[in-house]
Amino acid sequence: MTRIAYRRLEDMTERARELTEERGNLNVYRTLASAEKVFTGWMIAGRDALTSRVVPFRLRELVVLRTAYLMDCGYELGQHNDIARSAGVDPDEIHAIMSESDWETAGFDPVEVAVLRLTTELLTTRGVAAALFDQVHTALGSEATMEVLMIINRYAGLALMLNALDVDLDDTARLPIRKLG
Amino acid sequence: MSRIPLADIEQQPESIREWAARRGNLNVFRLLANAPKVFGGWTAMVDELFASTTFSARMREVIILRVAHLQDSPYEIGQHVVLARDAGLTEQQVNAIRDAGDLDEAGFSPTERAALDVVTELCTTHHLSDDSFDAAHGIFGDEAFTELLMLISCYYGLALVLNAADLDVDAGSWFQPRTGEFR
Repeated sequence: MTRIAYRRLEDMTERARELTEERGNLNVYRTLASAEKVFTGWMIAGRDALTSRVVPFRLRELVVLRTAYLMDCGYELGQHNDIARSAGVDPDEIHAIMSESDWETAGFDPVEVAVLRLTTELLTTRGVAAALFDQVHTALGSEATMEVLMIINRYAGLALMLNALDVDLDDTARLPIRKLG
Repeated sequence: MSRIPLADIEQQPESIREWAARRGNLNVFRLLANAPKVFGGWTAMVDELFASTTFSARMREVIILRVAHLQDSPYEIGQHVVLARDAGLTEQQVNAIRDAGDLDEAGFSPTERAALDVVTELCTTHHLSDDSFDAAHGIFGDEAFTELLMLISCYYGLALVLNAADLDVDAGSWFQPRTGEFR
């Protein structure tokens, strides 16, 4: 049960309202809008992150789900369970990502496994072994590797906020990620 | 040694060159410039965090340095130990934040101590207990508490990027928390 009141659209600044409506009136935005001096900058960073197609949609959702699982963030898992489905991740694959190590043998391609391994190692140890980093960097190149790290950055940080505020998962509303792209 | 080549700021778009001129020509920006589709939005977010008057420079650095320490980020620590001293933290306080001294004996204000408790519990457990939330929310209220989370979120996530890339600490250049402020 959410710990602070959801802000109504009509109580947001005009810019905050525009950015929220663009993405859907989700509980995450209605909550974080309370930080009104910094909310619009956070939303602009989010728009860039959500509309970039440097990291393929499917790979991006694998990273988001793995991050959400390791950060124990029910809200992110709830939203991205459905988004991952629309990115071509099947229920068995989602199940594997939401486990300790089933994803290592669930039939993901070698690049996906390497990226999931990097995500796991980074979030559990706060660092990545050089050989694993180089494997991902060689496969994806510098720009996509940096964007993978920025996806982990954003969703790990967001998970802390959602967990601290105990934001309720929206009943049906989901982030229209394809529309944004 | 950075695992991803650092970009040349002079080769970046005008908006990024302007940002680096204001905030410093730092390795972190040269690293993030490798992701030009998301770097611009990130700078907009950081600009708002540092333009906000909700927290004093000192309080902000208390929060950031604690996150940097708990995330084991040499780069963030290298930058923010210096910024924390500039903002008025004593050596004893810097050491206590880095777990080389007692937080209760370092002379933090009750508000600073409350912020440190939120950072510690959230970064180490990924959650906040009801009691911890109630204590912090009672002090900060909705807006400042949420903004505290925004600061934690920014530096917690950034530390992961910097650690993964094994970014070198800058030699003698520091982030400029306020436009036009030189050190």
